[in-house]
Amino acid sequence: MASPILVGERLCKSYVRGGRKIQVLDEVSLTVDKGEFLVIAGSSGSGKTTLLSILSGLDLPSSGRVILAGRDITGLSEDQLAPLRNRQTGFVFQAFHLIPSLNALENVMFPAELGKDPEARAKALALLQRVGLTARAGNFPEQLSGGEQQRVAICRAVINRPALLFADEPTGNLDSRNSEGIVELLLDLHRNQGTTLVMATHSPALAARADRLIRLHDGAVVPSADRTL
Amino acid sequence: MKLRHLLRDILHNRGQAVIFTLCVALSMVSLVAVNSLRRDVRGVIAEDAAALQGGDVIVRSGGEFTPALREELARVVGEGLATATTAWEFHSVARREGGEAVLFSNIKAVSGGYPLYGTVELRSGRPFAEVLRPGVVVVGQALLDRLGLVVGDHLLLGEGRLQIVDVVVRESQRPVEFFTFGPRVFMSEGDLAATGLVGKGSRTSYRWLLRLADPGAAETVAARLQARAGEGERVASAATSGSRIKRFFDNLLFFLSLIAVFTLLLAGIGMQSSLAALLRRQVKTIAILRALGAGNRHILGHHLGLVLLLGLCGVILGIGGGLVLKGAVFQLLAGLLPEKLTLEASFADLLQGLGLGLTAVLFFTFLPLAGIARIKPAAIFRKETAGGLRRAMPRLALLLGLLLLSAVVVVQLDDVTTGLWFMAAVLVLVAVMWGLAHLVLGGLARLDISSLALRQAVRSLSRPGNASRTVVVTLASALAVLFSIYLVERNLRAAYIESYPADAPNLFFLDIQKDQREDFIDFVGGKAEIFPVVRARLLAINDREIDRRREVERRGDSLSREFNLTYRDDLLADEKLVAGKGLFGGNRAPGRLPPVSLLDSVVEIGDMEIGDTLHFSIQGVSLKAEATSIRSRTRSLLYPFFYFVFPEATLKAAPQTFFAALKVPQGEASLLENRVVSRFPNISPINVGESAVELGRLMAKLSLLVTFFASLSILAGGLILVGSILATRLARLEEAVHYKILGGDTPFVLKVFGLENLVLALQSGGAALLVAQLGSWALCHLALDISFRPYPLASLVAVGAITAVVVALGLLASLSVIVKKPGAYLREHSS
Repeated sequence: MASPILVGERLCKSYVRGGRKIQVLDEVSLTVDKGEFLVIAGSSGSGKTTLLSILSGLDLPSSGRVILAGRDITGLSEDQLAPLRNRQTGFVFQAFHLIPSLNALENVMFPAELGKDPEARAKALALLQRVGLTARAGNFPEQLSGGEQQRVAICRAVINRPALLFADEPTGNLDSRNSEGIVELLLDLHRNQGTTLVMATHSPALAARADRLIRLHDGAVVPSADRTL
Repeated sequence: MKLRHLLRDILHNRGQAVIFTLCVALSMVSLVAVNSLRRDVRGVIAEDAAALQGGDVIVRSGGEFTPALREELARVVGEGLATATTAWEFHSVARREGGEAVLFSNIKAVSGGYPLYGTVELRSGRPFAEVLRPGVVVVGQALLDRLGLVVGDHLLLGEGRLQIVDVVVRESQRPVEFFTFGPRVFMSEGDLAATGLVGKGSRTSYRWLLRLADPGAAETVAARLQARAGEGERVASAATSGSRIKRFFDNLLFFLSLIAVFTLLLAGIGMQSSLAALLRRQVKTIAILRALGAGNRHILGHHLGLVLLLGLCGVILGIGGGLVLKGAVFQLLAGLLPEKLTLEASFADLLQGLGLGLTAVLFFTFLPLAGIARIKPAAIFRKETAGGLRRAMPRLALLLGLLLLSAVVVVQLDDVTTGLWFMAAVLVLVAVMWGLAHLVLGGLARLDISSLALRQAVRSLSRPGNASRTVVVTLASALAVLFSIYLVERNLRAAYIESYPADAPNLFFLDIQKDQREDFIDFVGGKAEIFPVVRARLLAINDREIDRRREVERRGDSLSREFNLTYRDDLLADEKLVAGKGLFGGNRAPGRLPPVSLLDSVVEIGDMEIGDTLHFSIQGVSLKAEATSIRSRTRSLLYPFFYFVFPEATLKAAPQTFFAALKVPQGEASLLENRVVSRFPNISPINVGESAVELGRLMAKLSLLVTFFASLSILAGGLILVGSILATRLARLEEAVHYKILGGDTPFVLKVFGLENLVLALQSGGAALLVAQLGSWALCHLALDISFRPYPLASLVAVGAITAVVVALGLLASLSVIVKKPGAYLREHSS
């Protein structure tokens, strides 16, 4: 039996906006096993991105806790979370979030350089070659198409070979041809490197290929045996 | 509705709105302070001219008055037109009875009725005229302190022994003469002869002061007396009489005006920069308004209203700040200002401030406002870019704006030539700084930097919306001016005060009469350097008469004053010939005019050249001479120098006195002064060491004032820096989130932001230092003719200090970005 790499226990998240309390997550619990490909599905506003943010340690839950690789990360400070984000997890965003002042190569190298990896450049070049962007290594984000930017973002997310990769609607801003390429790339990484993949998506094609799917509705997990979205 | 919309926009962009308002205020502060102070000083000098000058009509002479003028004055008094009093003024040493202490003092011998106008306030509270009787003196407190005397003791002045009966607390005329060294001593004119201090050729200022029965007739009476005046005798009404205080304040306030205008220009760049940042945030709103059918008139009108509303707030703040600053200047110059000058704000201050401020606002905001017209509705669909508001530069309008600004500067400085030169100099300075910033920022972007944090910091300098170049240009320009002022002041201090060379004379003796010369030399042991002095006036150059009225208004030295001519055949040790064949042009054909050698400084004042004919009057005797050489001084010391040097044969027979320069150990100077004055009462000693200290004190005071005004221009750079950080807050936030998501910890984020500001600060400081060093070197060598020292340690400390301030300011402004959780940012921007 596979051991869990990520556990979310009774996660709640609420905000106060304009004097009104908004409950985004309500007692969400889940477990992700090592090497698993989990899809979090749900309509817009159901709390997918918030759940992903909390599970990856980018945000704090109002209550509940997150255990990553056996360690409770809920109470960790930003500086305690930094090495975890750098080595154990990777994140791919819908809006890419590349650093605009760095070119493609530098963007990919960045996490490895932060970890003082002397092979950062070589690894980044190899990844870019793998995604077919060697010729675009010197280009800045604004000079790349959406699909190219997302490929760079994926390379950046995996350069330190994280055990866990979070992806938030990675194909949400892409056309179908680019989406397909990105999906293949993510699944390839998941299969070949054994990376655990936790993805929030609207894509039925992606959901169909997941090991498991959980569905959110109004911030709560709803039972579903059906993988269709 | 419109006002509410304006206020909403201001609230929504409050950071940039505050920076813009502060920039407007900053542009006004020093201008309002200087203009208000100038108006007050000029007003008091004009209104209270009689009290400041001592009479409705003032008759001056460097020597005793001619019989013709005396007779005319007696007639004026006899006709009941005026009452008159006399005030003879000179410097001499006062000695303590029974001791060796001596003090160089400013002595005023007055006749009954003095002062006709104004007051001499005594510590006893008694009227001055009642107290000052023959046989007594009234002195300044400083004299008592330094000679260790008290009221009731006796003071020795020349051969006279006079009792101290009271202490001067305040003198309404004193500010007019505040550059005279030494404490005041008042004595009766009747005691003067007994002291033996005033002799023929001695350096005394003779003054008649007249109080007219009808003060409105001052010009008529002055003209009547002037008609009988001889050479060197000047008659003027209180209103037209030039005074040292007016000249001093004209010069000081003119210089402060230059700095104030400079601050205005830099703060103007800040206004432009912050408004551009504010409008960048408005691009989407403007695009939506256009899409909804709003025309240019509506949108421009709305934003012009916003600018004028913020500008008005800034102007009001600036006027208030200016008046507070004026109060601080008032305190700093206490003792130098006319006593009737009171701290107040006039309607004219407000009106002028308002006019100046709104003109500056309109000029500096024109460019960003013009960019609004170029925003298309399609901007809704695009991500905002920094370039959207640029390149909207209607060149003709810009040129017109520059002309308008130049006109404002010219009016402010009250001098067309200086105003235009100043504008040109500022434009050149900004262009040089822009070029340097462009070179360095461009070079840095191309560097292959191995440190991740440093590379990221350098790359961040060119993030969209970053005003890196503007920050560097304004900071560097302001710092360059401040550094230059510091360097020039330090070099002036070094040249004239601190580095007074060990071998240079430190004791001067003035007014040695011809028949005292040999005795004096023997008395001081033969070690004195003696210079003959012949008092003369320059009447014309190449038969072109000296325009005395214009010369009086000149800022520096003028050709209208009485000069000291001398004769000798050789150059002095600190002189070199810069033009001409020998001092007197070698062998000269008989019948030619006698030769005269000119010092380069007077050549500049009079625009003279070799071959010019100079027409002098030596106590009424005409002397024409031909300029045969030009000399320059190789060292700048408090050492005697003469504008005009003649061959001995030309001046030997002229009425003359002698001037002696001696080097004595400082501890023995007082003793020698005392001995010389006891033996030769008419000879005035000047202890240069003491004078240098006094000069140093005054310089320190003025330097503090100038530095303070110049420091305000740095604030403009600081505001632009904060504005730039606010304008790029979103980009910085995004960067910080990226760093954190990818595993960067707080020290790393701090390091990147800190390094970014460090690069900015070092670049600004470095460029400023380079320009300041070059500029100060040129100023010292070419204009002031003093040697230049670069003060590298002090310069580096200054750069270090400013760097620390900029880095701290940058980090402080970025703090809210650094502490933000990545999740919160992602949630807020997920849409």
